[in-house]
This record gives sequence, C-alpha cells and structure tokens, in this order.
Amino acid sequence: MAEASSCEAGALVIAGHFGFAAVVKSREPQVPLWSLMLACQWMDVLFVPLFALGIERIVPIATAGPHPGYGEGIIYADYTHSLLGALVIGATYGLVAAWRWGWRNGAVLAGVVFSHWVLDLLVHRADMPFLPGNAGNLPRLGLGLWRIPAASAAVELALVVLGTCLYWRAATKALHDAGERTAKAAQLAAVILVSGLVTLGLNLVGM
Amino acid sequence: MSFIIGVVLFVVVVGILDARLPWPKPRAARPVRS
Repeated sequence: MAEASSCEAGALVIAGHFGFAAVVKSREPQVPLWSLMLACQWMDVLFVPLFALGIERIVPIATAGPHPGYGEGIIYADYTHSLLGALVIGATYGLVAAWRWGWRNGAVLAGVVFSHWVLDLLVHRADMPFLPGNAGNLPRLGLGLWRIPAASAAVELALVVLGTCLYWRAATKALHDAGERTAKAAQLAAVILVSGLVTLGLNLVGM
Repeated sequence: MSFIIGVVLFVVVVGILDARLPWPKPRAARPVRS
C-alpha cells in the first residue's frame, strides 16, 4: 500500500483544533491566544519531523485515489499520538508554560495540548495506540468519524463557528471594560472565522 | 499545505492581532524583579 507523500495527504484535523483553542480563550482570557493556538496543534507540529524521518507514517485507505482526500488516511503516529505520548507531550508543554505564566495557565495549556488527542480520537480510524511505538501491541483507538467525511467536517466547522462566537463575546467584554472601541472584537472574530474556513476548505480539497 | 497555512494564520496572524487587545495578563510564576 502506497504511503502518503506529505503530511496533508490523508488529511489531519486542523481547523477544529483551532476552533477549540478559541473556545478556551473565551473562558481563560489571561492565556495568550498564540500559545493556545500552538498548544492545540503541538502534537501535529511534533509529528511533522517524525513523518519526514519516516518514523511516523500516513497510509492511504484502500479505497483512496492517487491523491488521498479528507480523512482518507490511516495515521501511524505511534509516538506523538499515542495516549501516553500525548499525556507526556501535554505535560511538557504545560510545565514550560507554568514556568513562565504560573501553574494555572500551565495546566490550561497542558489540557489544550491533550484536547488534540481527544478530538483526533473521535475522527481517526482505529490507529491511535495506548503506548508509544504501540508497545505491547494493545488494541488501537479511534471512533472513525472520518468514515463519514461530511460529519467530521461538520464537527470541525461547528468548533470554528463556536470558537469564533465565544471569542467575539469575550473580546467585546475585554474591550468594553477597558473603554476601547468594541469593533476590534468583531474584526478579529472575522479573521478567526475566515482563517478557519480557509484552513478547513483547503483540507477538504486535499491540499 | 492546509496545516502550514493554518498554523501561520492562527498562531502568527491571529496571535499577533489578539495580543493587541486588553486581555488580563497571565500571572507570572514568580514575581519579576525590576
């Protein structure tokens, strides 16, 4: 079976993670948004060099065409996306953040890193191991929503829209409390929504 | 490409724009000496 030639071939969940980070920003406004956005994708950021080195792989599903589309990949990210690996990666990210911003914010960011694993669990076919390297050959995890691409895309879109709306509300309050024009909140919410739609759209067409 | 574009848009562009809003500051882990 041919292996995918790029990280995107076979597709990853992308926009949905960013939407969730925007939701968290609305609840924990003291945490810098860039750190939340980076946290929600940190597992995939670490996946990229391991993929380039051939340590982690994406294998197109049997029914995929020459250019695998959205959700048409089995992702053997056996280190970055194992349950234990995700916990360690999240804890490490959280510890670095806690050193700079305190324990509470570190815990929030650790949780956002691990949220990536939870959302991936929903959509991945059963390809996510418990232990790094799939040690012990335990059953792999994944609820397989990618078998229904429209449903998984709808979940991602819903997260983007929810994150945009909650961010808009929180940003409006922050600006109002500071006595500044609240129009900035709408402008930034629009940037988030458009960024989410662009990212999801490119992902859906297999780019 | 969508992954790279997403990271650039959300982490860099949105992150920089958001940093200009008057959000509460994260409490430092320990007091910063001046």
